[in-house]
Amino acid sequence: MKIELPQTQKIYRKNKGILDVLHIDGWLLLGILLLLATSVAVIYSASGGDQAVMMRQVSRIGAALVILIIFAQIPPNILYIFTPWLFLLGILTLISVLLFGEVGKGAQRWLDLGFVRFQPSELMKLVLPVTIAWLFAHSKFPPSFRRLLLGAVLVAFTGSLIVVQPDLGTSLLIGLSGLSVLFFAGLPWKVILGSFLAIVFSAPIAWHFMHDYQKQRVLTFLNPESDPLGSGYHIIQSKIAIGSGGLDGKGYMGSTQAHLEFLPESTTDFIFSVLAEEFGLIGVIALLVLYSLVIARGLYIASQAQDNFTRLIAASFMMTLFVYIFVNIGMVSGLLPVVGLPLPLISYGGSSLITLMISFGILMSIHTHKKLLTE
Amino acid sequence: MSEHLDFNSNSENINQKKQFRSRLLIAYLFTLILFIILIVRMTHLQWLEYERYQGLAEGNRISIETLPPTRGKIFDRNHLLLADNQPVYTLKLIREKMDNIEAATLAIQVILDNIDPKRVHDFFQTFKQKNRSKSYELPFTLSEEQAAQFAVISHKHPGVTLSARLKRTYPYGATAVHALGYVGRINQKELKKLDKKAYRGTDIIGKSGVEKYYEDTLHGFPGIQQIETNVRGRVLRKLETLPAIPGKDIHLTLDIKLQQFAESLLKDMRGSIVALNPQNGEILAFVSMPTFDPNLFVDGINQTSYNALLHNPNRPFINRAINGRYPPGSTIKPFVALGAIENNIISPNKKIYDPGFLLYKDHRYRDWKRTGHGLVDMNKAIVESCDTYFYELSLDMGIDTIHDALAPFGFGSRTGIDIQGESRGILPSQEWKRETKGKSWFRGETIISSIGQGYNLATPLQLAKATAILANRGRVIQPHLVRSHKTEALKQIEIKKISNWEEVINSMKNVMHSKKGTAYTHARHLPFKMAGKTGTAQVFSLNAGDYDADAIHEKLRDHSLFVGFAPVNDPKIAVAVIAENAGSGSKTAAPIGVKLIEEYMKTLYPKTKQSVSPHEN
Repeated sequence: MKIELPQTQKIYRKNKGILDVLHIDGWLLLGILLLLATSVAVIYSASGGDQAVMMRQVSRIGAALVILIIFAQIPPNILYIFTPWLFLLGILTLISVLLFGEVGKGAQRWLDLGFVRFQPSELMKLVLPVTIAWLFAHSKFPPSFRRLLLGAVLVAFTGSLIVVQPDLGTSLLIGLSGLSVLFFAGLPWKVILGSFLAIVFSAPIAWHFMHDYQKQRVLTFLNPESDPLGSGYHIIQSKIAIGSGGLDGKGYMGSTQAHLEFLPESTTDFIFSVLAEEFGLIGVIALLVLYSLVIARGLYIASQAQDNFTRLIAASFMMTLFVYIFVNIGMVSGLLPVVGLPLPLISYGGSSLITLMISFGILMSIHTHKKLLTE
Repeated sequence: MSEHLDFNSNSENINQKKQFRSRLLIAYLFTLILFIILIVRMTHLQWLEYERYQGLAEGNRISIETLPPTRGKIFDRNHLLLADNQPVYTLKLIREKMDNIEAATLAIQVILDNIDPKRVHDFFQTFKQKNRSKSYELPFTLSEEQAAQFAVISHKHPGVTLSARLKRTYPYGATAVHALGYVGRINQKELKKLDKKAYRGTDIIGKSGVEKYYEDTLHGFPGIQQIETNVRGRVLRKLETLPAIPGKDIHLTLDIKLQQFAESLLKDMRGSIVALNPQNGEILAFVSMPTFDPNLFVDGINQTSYNALLHNPNRPFINRAINGRYPPGSTIKPFVALGAIENNIISPNKKIYDPGFLLYKDHRYRDWKRTGHGLVDMNKAIVESCDTYFYELSLDMGIDTIHDALAPFGFGSRTGIDIQGESRGILPSQEWKRETKGKSWFRGETIISSIGQGYNLATPLQLAKATAILANRGRVIQPHLVRSHKTEALKQIEIKKISNWEEVINSMKNVMHSKKGTAYTHARHLPFKMAGKTGTAQVFSLNAGDYDADAIHEKLRDHSLFVGFAPVNDPKIAVAVIAENAGSGSKTAAPIGVKLIEEYMKTLYPKTKQSVSPHEN
């Protein structure tokens, strides 16, 4: 290996630029940077021109980009070696949140490590799909039934640790990211269809056994507008914001819904509504196209990956990204129930941003390390 | 890893790749379909229903406002108000609606003539950087007069509105501040811990004392109000309301009149007084001197006043009643004596000769009375506070027996009072020294422990509690400040012979009522009988020469201590008094303790329990 090193270096020095030296995929980076620039602009507007809020997000973005570059340097085989340990660590931190995390009142999902507060379920968003991919790394597609079942059990176990926090929304989303790996590994259509039907048919039975107050909670969850003083108020105001944006929007800094404080959480969960109000349907379509291109590039990287492990990781990361986008926009536009979930790369905040940038870093690593080896 | 990086080497792999790519394609189509669904939804909202939502946005007049809960009030045991909420005026500013910030700054600087104009200026400097559509509150309050002045010119300053809110006030000022505590602005650390929902619209929180310990009870829960406004944001009508749940009122066990009297007794001194009802552990007076005015902290104290308090050499912030750790001195003697006779170490009638010192290993342990007390039995040892008697006793008992006899009275452990941060004190034993100092115990240390010196440290609250348990003939109580406080199941110290207890208590009565007693001169006029014990705790051991209080630097002078209770056979009040660097116990602390008990028995106790007259023995 040491002897070959000068040769490979010579190859990419000759015809490659700075991006390749840093293991960066230019197209993916371009998409990400466009989304982040949108984020800064909309946060500034949604916060009513609060410079402090904007600068805080800018510095987070800077840190997150550094993290992306760091993760792009880690070759996938290193990740492969550490995967079981990361999973073990993730499970242990989830358990310790259950044991020690309950410091304040209400659901406490944070673990305070003194210098940084940290949400283990955030880490699990990445570690769970990577672990399932690790499980199928040496199988042929589709893996044996026993292996698929083992994967499903790991997903269910992790999900149940988060459900009891209690955080049903995150648990379902993390579960989905794990299940997407099963899908890409070639879970037979029969099984997919069968489980889907099982869920559809078990719902009325579960409903039958629920208490009245539980039914009430489910109904409010599904139809928030029945609770106009609570979460329904948010959705009504969010729909007014989006709808009143019209085709071309009210213009930058023109969101009356956010500025008159009708729209709650306007920089975090409901930031899409501000964007839709200010830039209209045209802006919304542009954003969705941009997201779609990023996902397409990610799936392309998956299709070019050379082993099962990296293929599955890349594909499932993109599906996770998609699910978060869809659930957030579906929520603020009143299509889906309210789950507190940020809009990927756009919402104000650090946790979700860092997780995403790590996943993009891994994606770039998958793409660029392969090239180096084949040449 | 290298094993499965076998790049497309066989047909099976190619097959798999094909299958994987078909799944990728299906997945991408799936995302496209769902994105199209979102676009359809957006088209529906933004194109087809645009006019409707446009109208709704323009006419959007319903906003939601938080109604912060009213903080519970705090009363004393006789329903006198100790912590109240008073309306105060302040200004709220919204940058977006202000047309001339400079003019408004100047106007506010003129009206707030009691505030440094620079502080107003500084506020506006940061205000200009903040969210322009949010409402911010001026961090200064306006007097009624200033509010009226602003009301006259308010039309010139759109975006600045006068608002009234409730402010915590403490009508008794500095009295009982160490028990009551105070509220202040929520700081960053507290913000991280608290439930954000419950503190919407609230910016104060209990910082110490009962205000902190009972924060959850006092705080309440905010409500929500829907408000209809016009296009310019002016309130037209209040719609649906979810009322706030006000915090609950709290009744203290303190008697504020007794508290005031007790504080006056320690005026201009450093020290502490704790008085409690031995029958149920209710704290009647809880004094730590000097005190400070909690009203200063409610809206944030200014730096100068804060520094003055912080650097005051008399340390007013220290809660001496629970954090002052003092050598208990001779006040510990009745407990040691009881331990000795209950453990059959000595008979109460046995006489020991005191030449004025005890010689042990070539070291003279001196009695406070240099000429000695002569032949001393247990009664005389307590009444005259003979040290040599206890030196002898301690050598027969050993430190661990002393420890085990004193521990049930609560020495060396927290009392469990319902305010935070209580100190433990120290009740030494062989094991304690090995664990904390890593050294073995010397018998010479046992000798000085027997008179409450050496390692022994106790808080005034611990002394009052121990005295109350002795007064109760062994029934343990838990001191508390709030009447509804639930105390743990009360225990009873095991009694070997009740006559032993009566013997010790009788000696304590003789301290007060027999001619030789160290507190006789202060108690002889009392119409009832009480029990007590004086103590003089050495702060600094002098190498040679006589104790000359005036010649010694004030802070090196002895602490003056007193514990006592009354009436002897049906105790209604137990007290512990500590006056720092105030000389001997019989000189300073004893008269304070007697006056406090007298005041309570004569005037306050009959008033609170009118059906029962004070017992006289």
